Amino acid sequence: MPIEVTGLCHSYKKGTPFENKVLHEINLHIADGEFVGLIGPTQSGKTTLAQHFNALFIPQKGIVVVNGCNTSEKNADLISLRQQVGYVFQNPDYQLFASTVGEDISFGPKTQKLAAGEIENRVRAAMEQVGLDYDTFHRRDIFALSGGQKRRVAIAGVLACHPQILILDDITAGLDPRGREEILGVVRKLHREEKITIIFISNSMDEVAVLAERIILIDQGRISAVGSTREVFKQSDKLRTIGLELPEIMNIANKLRACGYHLPSALLDPEEALNAISSALEEGRVGN
Amino acid sequence: MELTKNITLGVYLPGETSIHRLDPRTKIIAAAILITLLLFIKSYQPYGLFMLFTIAVIIASGIPISYALCGLKPMLPVLVLMWFFQLFLYSAPEAEVIVSWWIFSATDAGLHMGNLITLRVFFLFTIITILTLTTSIVSLTDGLESLLKPLRMIGIPSQELVMTMIIALRFVLILAEELDKIIKAQMARGVAFDRGNFIQKTRNLFPVFLPLFINAFKRAEELIVAMEARSYTGGKGRTKMKTLHMGRVDRSAGVVIMLFTGLIVYIILSVNPQI
Repeated sequence: MPIEVTGLCHSYKKGTPFENKVLHEINLHIADGEFVGLIGPTQSGKTTLAQHFNALFIPQKGIVVVNGCNTSEKNADLISLRQQVGYVFQNPDYQLFASTVGEDISFGPKTQKLAAGEIENRVRAAMEQVGLDYDTFHRRDIFALSGGQKRRVAIAGVLACHPQILILDDITAGLDPRGREEILGVVRKLHREEKITIIFISNSMDEVAVLAERIILIDQGRISAVGSTREVFKQSDKLRTIGLELPEIMNIANKLRACGYHLPSALLDPEEALNAISSALEEGRVGN
Repeated sequence: MELTKNITLGVYLPGETSIHRLDPRTKIIAAAILITLLLFIKSYQPYGLFMLFTIAVIIASGIPISYALCGLKPMLPVLVLMWFFQLFLYSAPEAEVIVSWWIFSATDAGLHMGNLITLRVFFLFTIITILTLTTSIVSLTDGLESLLKPLRMIGIPSQELVMTMIIALRFVLILAEELDKIIKAQMARGVAFDRGNFIQKTRNLFPVFLPLFINAFKRAEELIVAMEARSYTGGKGRTKMKTLHMGRVDRSAGVVIMLFTGLIVYIILSVNPQI
């Protein structure tokens, strides 16, 4: 289910003195089963762009086609499109409203008017996918959950709609390291096992470096770089001028390289980096 | 979808015009006088003059007229409903029936009343919008506080009241932004807000208003903590870094308002001598 964006522009508060152009002539293509990292500094237009993918925004100018459905068309079935393209928001408090975990997760399938048995199956499956035990959690009070658990419930609530594309909008912000690891584990599993297309919006370059296969870099509403994760992170000067940091592993590798150790450029995977660094340390400095 | 686009209430549009430079007290008093005048207008001629005056003020303040009026868009259904209520439910003894349907009948008096009340609300809204668009929240607070100071003598905590009012005004926009996010989060889960019958539409509001209220309470609590962390203890012993001054612009504005009031009163009296 590919996403095709052509010449997309968007302004907030269009026609008022506060008009703010946030997207300029965006062109991009996302193929089935990809894991795309959407990165850029704050206010660069990442969220606005992503909300065009499930028709929360209809293009003011340009075309967005998702799985053959042109969102600008008058008779486009946006409700079914939104079920195919799941969107998890940064703050789970905007989404969760029911009193128990099970009730909240079943909300999406209920709006699809599924049979009661099917709804329960879906809730059970979605909770399993995010690592919440059905019997322990489905009657739990939502407001008694921890931040990480709430986020998992929010993801489960979207997964229960059976999306083919999942947009994750900065879902690890504000979590402690453990909660973050848990959530990222869930995301990785969804992509590997369920083959869901994932669009991962994040401000953490470390997360993106490890997870994403391809990166779309946005700056001030324009696409600044597109390519494999390695290719994009090789452009370290560009990232720095935009105001983004390199992943920590690359920083360490760069520093070692500056000290004269021989290391391949654009190391991203922690394990790969560990091997490269230890063999470089054994080899010793270049020229010694 | 963008909810905050048409909200002008509580928004400040910075500028350098003389309307912006007026002392906030002048603007508040002027708005109060204009609103009081509205209550006495019972015919169309003074409203014509009122319209000209409002347009002149909007132009002088550099606000695009379309923007000043776009805040009315969300209010339009309420205005229309009010007009219909007056049209069908208000009647005077010697009124002439224009249209009659089932148990309802519209009279010319009802039509007149509907028009007047709709115009009144329209101008009320426009005046307040111009006031907040041209006055920053800080000076609005200072102005109101200074005007309500005498109330302290009879034991009314004016400073706290003003603070509460201003916070409420600020929250209009904040809550609208949150509402926007919540509606999107639920739309992403398949809620179709524009589909279904009345009961379904009402039921769709639960997943929106529940998170909204919970978040609003959370926000309010955080705000209280933030204010206390900065040693806010209410009005007692608070001093101002900027003191308010009335200058030449304020005097000229005073003269303009007085002339305008005089003119309106003259028209009211000449149209309706019995008042």
